[in-house]
Amino acid sequence: MPVDVPVQLLQLGADLPFREGYISSIIYVSLYVSVTAVVLSTLFSLPIAIVMGFADFPGKQFVKSVINTGMGFPSVVVGLAVLFVVSNQGPLGSLDLIFTKQAMIMSQFVLATPPITAISLAAITGVRENVRDAARVLGGTRLDVALVVLKEARYGIATAILAGFGRAISEVGSVLIVGGNITSADGISKTRTLTTAIQLEARQGQYDTAMILGAVLIVLVLLVNGIVVRFGDQGMQR
Amino acid sequence: MLRAISVSQAFGDELVFQNLSIQVDPGEIVAIIGPSGVGKTTLLKILSLSLEPDDGSIQLDGTDAWAVDESDRLAMRRRIGMVFQEASLFDASVARNVAYGLRIRAPWSERIRSRMCSAAASFVHPFERLFQYDGLWPERLRAGVQRILRMDSPPAAVRESLAVVGMTHKLNQRAESLSGGEAQRVSFARALAYDPDFLLLDEPTSDLDPRNTAVIEEAIATASDQGIGVVVATHDMNQAQRVADRVGVLLDRGITEIAPTEVIFENPSDERTRKFISGELIY
Amino acid sequence: MTTQRRTFITAIGAAAAAATAGCSETYSGGQSTPDVAGETLTLTTTTSTYDTGLLDAIHPQFEDMYGVTVDAVALGTGAALEAARNGDSDVVMVHARGLEDEFMRNGYGVNRRDLMFNDFVIVGPADDPAGVQGMSSATEAFNTIADAQATFVSRGDNSGTHTKELNLWEAAGTDPGGDWYQETGTGMGEALNIANQQGAYTLSDRGTFLSQRSEIDLVIQVQGPIEGGPELLANPYGVMAVNPGVHESTNYDLAMAYIGWITSPEAQSAIESYTVNGEQLFYPEAVSENPDFQQYVPEDWNNDTSDT
Repeated sequence: MPVDVPVQLLQLGADLPFREGYISSIIYVSLYVSVTAVVLSTLFSLPIAIVMGFADFPGKQFVKSVINTGMGFPSVVVGLAVLFVVSNQGPLGSLDLIFTKQAMIMSQFVLATPPITAISLAAITGVRENVRDAARVLGGTRLDVALVVLKEARYGIATAILAGFGRAISEVGSVLIVGGNITSADGISKTRTLTTAIQLEARQGQYDTAMILGAVLIVLVLLVNGIVVRFGDQGMQR
Repeated sequence: MLRAISVSQAFGDELVFQNLSIQVDPGEIVAIIGPSGVGKTTLLKILSLSLEPDDGSIQLDGTDAWAVDESDRLAMRRRIGMVFQEASLFDASVARNVAYGLRIRAPWSERIRSRMCSAAASFVHPFERLFQYDGLWPERLRAGVQRILRMDSPPAAVRESLAVVGMTHKLNQRAESLSGGEAQRVSFARALAYDPDFLLLDEPTSDLDPRNTAVIEEAIATASDQGIGVVVATHDMNQAQRVADRVGVLLDRGITEIAPTEVIFENPSDERTRKFISGELIY
Repeated sequence: MTTQRRTFITAIGAAAAAATAGCSETYSGGQSTPDVAGETLTLTTTTSTYDTGLLDAIHPQFEDMYGVTVDAVALGTGAALEAARNGDSDVVMVHARGLEDEFMRNGYGVNRRDLMFNDFVIVGPADDPAGVQGMSSATEAFNTIADAQATFVSRGDNSGTHTKELNLWEAAGTDPGGDWYQETGTGMGEALNIANQQGAYTLSDRGTFLSQRSEIDLVIQVQGPIEGGPELLANPYGVMAVNPGVHESTNYDLAMAYIGWITSPEAQSAIESYTVNGEQLFYPEAVSENPDFQQYVPEDWNNDTSDT
């Protein structure tokens, strides 16, 4: 029985009603938007997690609750907020970002940052204090100590990044609102991702096709997870 | 010379010590003994320039460490090494742990270059075996690969300091796979590798078996032979007697007596010293 | 002046104009390129329009003609108009006359043209539990379904189709509600699937129904005007340019070029020949010997009343 379903799906896959280049273009847009958003978010979140982990400052509790709230924040609301900002009427209207990949990156950035920050923070505070002290007393500057902590917490941070990536790439609502799910007339995606393509097929009632795209998405996520974990294992040698 | 002058330290309401003075010269070994919790660790933290004393000053070669700005103090701190009771090694190989002090003292261009080298080397590493066979590869390719692998090998200072503690055979082993004694020896090598002028040790052998303790004590002797000024905080009086040139007794919120080892153990001037050494003081 | 001389001077003037026209255009390799080349036109439309695939089929001709790209964004009817109101799109194509009129009244849109029409059909299970098969009045069919409390699936999303459905209920004098009336908030294809699974009735645009027909077991119970059914089920499409007076940054030139193209005989004929599963989906309306002046103004606009 379990063998039937994949075989059926494969057969369907053979006669998918898509033009050439459609699927690869939506995979490209999905990856481009999500990877960019996660990279930017990581560069933004890690320093914050380090500061939160080591320093005490007024309002620290407040920042912490903002991050935790952000983890569960409904993504459509984020989409609406970004729409408001990039729309012609909004503060960034003159940059002409509505219905572009850049607007999608913005909304995925906002969604990925809370999990990346929170999980990295947990990993960083998990680093033993005496390791930090050792790094300092052996002559490390604050930057050196921060780098040591990041390195010690690297597995937790990798988990954080993968969690952020997961959140970003499975996004539908907000990227639909700010991206517009656009393809060119010959089917090459401009702002259509795997998730919004699935939504399109589902809305048209083409559930079989939607499932196939869903399978592609799952395989993609597994691949990325596999690569990151493998990358981490490589570091094991050193 | 590393010197604490009339330092006082309190944490909250609790006074740890006051008006404490102590100094150590290059090449000499000073042991600080006293009961647990009396403030040995705090004193070492002050001596390592990590903690600013509430009162008094601390001088390295005549310069007051807390009267200068952070970058000068950093340069001073970098002339001091420290070994804790727990090894606190990084989650990396032994070689990378010991090389840490050297790495952070190198200029950034050098650090980035060596990072890229190790990345290249870890890429090549799995194929190392293949390249050992003659005649299979163009000679230039083989030479290039071997050059990359060689560039990535640890600097001489790392091997030398590991040799002092007898751990060179574990160069590429991961730190987490070491036993407690081995880890502590690597920790010593880590503090030694960048050739500090002073070495501070906080109860370095409390958790170790006699063999590893002996290795550490030999290493302490080697360090002082190299001209390093050593301060060892220990509650093991026999150890103090074995290794130290001078011994300071930390009691009653201050150093009650500090004198050459034989004096402290055979003919102390302070009654409290005599009581402490004979075990009569109950804390 | 005699007529002959006037004609002669006009002819010379025209010739001179034609001769000098080439000088002001950009000259590249003997071919002159339109100034809008390389730009992008943002068109917002409804999901049901987009899902028929018509736009992807006909746009390439326009894109090649001007060397531009058309970004067709499929939103709900309301969202399509809202985007245009915000200046996020340049041209809007919807099929909700009431909303289009409001859009024009408020000054957001200019140059409305009738584009094409298709119709709605009332579909239901083959065994027709409510007994509405073949009725010639849409409102009577709706009332019959309500009385029989036969399950009815509604889009419930303020789309063009949903708006039409609500108008029909209003015209029928019935307020739908109760267990038999299910609002799904989904697209047309999904709604058809849901209706199919539950053996329910629903109102669908002919185009979506035709493309779905092979997947579902529902049949047409009440025809639309294309096949002789009631006029009330007609579904006319309009196209408007976003008013550059409200949003300076809209691409008005390209929007007008687009409207000009899509209401041209050539494009209208392409619309006519567009088929899904062998059936024609849209009936062109833009080109006519007797243009309907009502297409340019809100439906209840009267020459005698002064409109503000």
